[in-house]
Amino acid sequence: MTKLKTINLKKNFGDLEVLKDISTEIYEGEVVVIVGPSGSGKSTFLRCMNLLEEVTAGKVIIDDIDLTDPSQDINAVRENIGMVFQQFNLFPHLTSKENIMMAPKYLQDVPDDEIEARADRLLETVGMEDKADAYPRALSGGQKQRVAIARALAMEPDIMLFDEPTSALDPEMVGDVLEVMQKLAKEGMTMVVVTHEMGFAKEVADRVIFMDEGYIVEEGTPEQVFNNPQNKRTKDFLDKVLI
Amino acid sequence: MKIKKEKVFPFIIAFIFSLFISGAFSQTVQAEKGDENDPYLITTDVTYAPFEFQNDEGEYIGIDVEILAAIAEDQGFYYELRPMNFSAGLQALESNQVDGMIAAMSITPEREESFDFSNPYFEAGPVLAVREDNEEITSYDDLDGKTLAVKVGTTGAQLANKLAEDYDISINQFEDSATMYEDVAAGHSDGTIDDYPVMAFAIQNGLSLKFPTDPEPGDVYGFAVNKGRNPELLEMFNAGLATIYENGTHEQITSQYLGEDTEVAEETGFFGLLADVFPDLMNGLWRTLVLTFVAFAISLVAGTVIGLFSATPSRVLNIISDIYVTVLRGIPLIVLAFFMYFSVPQLFNIQINAFTAGIVTLSLNTTAYIAEQVRGGIAAVPVGQLEAARSLGLPYAVSMRKVVLPQAIKIMIPSLINQFVITLKDTSILSIIGIVELTQSGRIIIARTYESGAMWIIVGAIYLTIITLLTKVSATVERRISND
Ligand SMILES: Nc1ncnc2c1ncn2[C@@H]1O[C@H](COP(=O)(O)OP(=O)(O)OP(=O)(O)O)[C@@H](O)[C@H]1O
Ligand SMILES: [Mg+2]
Repeated sequence: MTKLKTINLKKNFGDLEVLKDISTEIYEGEVVVIVGPSGSGKSTFLRCMNLLEEVTAGKVIIDDIDLTDPSQDINAVRENIGMVFQQFNLFPHLTSKENIMMAPKYLQDVPDDEIEARADRLLETVGMEDKADAYPRALSGGQKQRVAIARALAMEPDIMLFDEPTSALDPEMVGDVLEVMQKLAKEGMTMVVVTHEMGFAKEVADRVIFMDEGYIVEEGTPEQVFNNPQNKRTKDFLDKVLI
Repeated sequence: MKIKKEKVFPFIIAFIFSLFISGAFSQTVQAEKGDENDPYLITTDVTYAPFEFQNDEGEYIGIDVEILAAIAEDQGFYYELRPMNFSAGLQALESNQVDGMIAAMSITPEREESFDFSNPYFEAGPVLAVREDNEEITSYDDLDGKTLAVKVGTTGAQLANKLAEDYDISINQFEDSATMYEDVAAGHSDGTIDDYPVMAFAIQNGLSLKFPTDPEPGDVYGFAVNKGRNPELLEMFNAGLATIYENGTHEQITSQYLGEDTEVAEETGFFGLLADVFPDLMNGLWRTLVLTFVAFAISLVAGTVIGLFSATPSRVLNIISDIYVTVLRGIPLIVLAFFMYFSVPQLFNIQINAFTAGIVTLSLNTTAYIAEQVRGGIAAVPVGQLEAARSLGLPYAVSMRKVVLPQAIKIMIPSLINQFVITLKDTSILSIIGIVELTQSGRIIIARTYESGAMWIIVGAIYLTIITLLTKVSATVERRISND
C-alpha cells in the first residue's frame, strides 16, 4: 500500500532548480535509501516530504492527504513523520528525556506519566536509558544521534526520514546508530534514508534511489542498482564511492 | 489527534496593553480652571536662587514662588508649581503644557510676540561676574580673548552676544545657573553674565565670585501666559500684584532674599553636607530606579515582540520591526524626550506629565535596542533547532517559545545586563523635561549649597554603587541560568 507519494515535485531556490521533476511512491513498511552525488538534491527531496521546504510545484501526498494543499494543517501531518538530522539538532537546554517528551507534552492529551513511560521505553530502544537525565553537551555524537532518533519516534510516527544520520559521527559510533535504524526497519517502519553507508543500503534497503542533478536517474533493489547499474551516471558515482 | 494551539496573540495584546499603560495620558479638559480640582499649572525654573530654589526640606521657596503664592492667596485661585529648566519651561508654555510661567523672566519684545506678560513684578539688570581672585578683568574691554558662561535664553546671554560682536569672546552655554557659576569658579570660563539679584544672593551665600562692573540698567520681570490664553489668570495676577505692592508684602518678600540680613549657609564639611542632602538624593535615586525598572520591564516585553517580528517568516512583520528599530535608534534620547513632552501634546491636544513622558521616552528607546538584541539572539540559534521542533509537529509559536527563545535569551543575557545599565544611566537625560531624578536632585542641591565639587562626587558614587550592585545581582542570575 502506498504510504507516501510525490507527483511531479519541483523545487527552486531562487533561479536554481534543485528538484526538477520527481514522481515516486513509497510503500508502507518499505525502506528506501537515497544515494547520489553532493548537491544532487537528496536533502531537499527529503525535506520536501515533511514540507520543511516549501515546494515550488507538484504534490506530496501522505496517506491520501495532500500536504501541499494550503488548507492542510501541516503540524498535524508532521506529527506522523519523524525526522533525523545529520547535525542531530537536539535541544541543548533540555535533557535527553526532556528532548523526547517535548512534543508529546505539547501535542498530545496524554497524562505526563504515560509520556514519561514512553520516553523511557524509547531510550531503552536506542540503548540510551542510562543517559536519560544527561544534557546533550555531555553526550558523544553517536549517543546524541540515538537520542535524536528516540525524539523523532516520540510522536509515534508512521514514517521516518533520515538525512545522513551517520555522516557527522566518528567511525566507531556509526555502527550503534545503524543498528538502531536496522531494528526500526525490522519492526516494519516506513523509512526514507539519505546515506553514504552502502553496506547499510545493501543489507537493509528494499529499494535504492539514485539521484543526480534534481532527477531520479535510476531506482531498483540494492542488487539491481549496485551490481547492475543501467545508467552511466550511476556507474560513475558507484565507481567513486565503492572503492 | 488533538492539537493544543499556541497563539502569538497574548504577546501582542500584552504589548499593546503596556503601551496603553505607559501612555496613560492625563486628560484635563475641564470647565472650572483654577479651582481646587483643576489648578493652574505654573512652571518655574528648577533652580534660580533667589527667585526659585528648594530649601533644606525640599520645598520650593524664592521671590517668584512667594510672590505667586501671595497673589494666589489674595485672588483666591489654586495652582500647581511645575519646576523645569528655563528653556523647557518656555516650550511647555508655548505648547500649553502649562498655563503660566514665573521664572525671573525678562519682558522682551521677542517674548511678547509669543506670550502675554503681566505688569512687571521685579526689576533687575544683568551683570558681569568673575572669580574672586581675578584681577585681570575690570571692564568689558578686558573680555577680549576670554570665555563667558551664559544661561541659554536669558538676557545675560543676550548681553554676552552683544559684547561678542565687539570683542573676541567665546561663549559657553548652560542650562542652569549653578552649573554656570561652578564653571567660572572652576576656571573653565573667565566670567559669566547673569541677573544681578541672582548672583548677589549667591555671593552672599558663599559663592566666590565678584562683580568687576556695575549692573546694566534693569530688565523687568513679568509673569507670562501663552499668547491669547488664560486672560483671566493674567488679570488676577495683575490685580493681586497691585495689592501686594500696596500692602507691603512685595517689599517684605524681596528684602527677605536680597536684604543684608540674608543668612549665610553654614560650613558643614563633606559629611555634614552628605547628611544634609541624603534624603533629597535618595528621593532622586528612587525616581531614577522607578524610571529604569518600569521602562526596562515594558521594553523587555515590547522588545521581545518586535524582535520576534523580525524573526517571523512574515514580510510585513519584518518590515514593521525594521522600521521601528531604525527610527527609534536614529533619534537621540533627548530629542525623543522633547518630542514626547512638547510635540505629542500639541499634536494630539493632550497633557502628559513629565514622569509619564519620561517613561514612554525611555521605553520606546530601550525597546529598539532590546529588539535588536532579541533579533541577534534568535539569529545566533542554529536554524536546525527550529527545524527540529517544527519537524516534530510543534507549531511555530511553541517552537519559538520553548526551543529557540530559551537559547536566544541565554545568548542575550550579557547584552541585556549591559542595556539595563545604559537605560539606568540614560534616565539622567530625562532631567531635561523636569523630572527630578538623581542627577537633577544633585543639580538642585548644588543650586542651594554651591558645593558642586563634593556633590558630583557623591552623585557619581551613588550611580556607581547602584550599577555595580545591580550588575552583580544580574551576573549571579546569569550564572544560575546558564548552569541549569
Ligand atoms: N536553502 C537553500 N537556499 C539556496 N540553495 C540551496 C538551499 N538548500 C540547498 N540549496 C542548493 O540546492 C542544491 C541541492 O542541495 P541538497 O542539500 O539538497 O543536496 P544534497 O544532495 O543533500 O547534497 P549533500 O550530499 O552535499 O548533502 C545545492 O546546490 C544547494 O546549494
Ligand atoms: Mg544533504
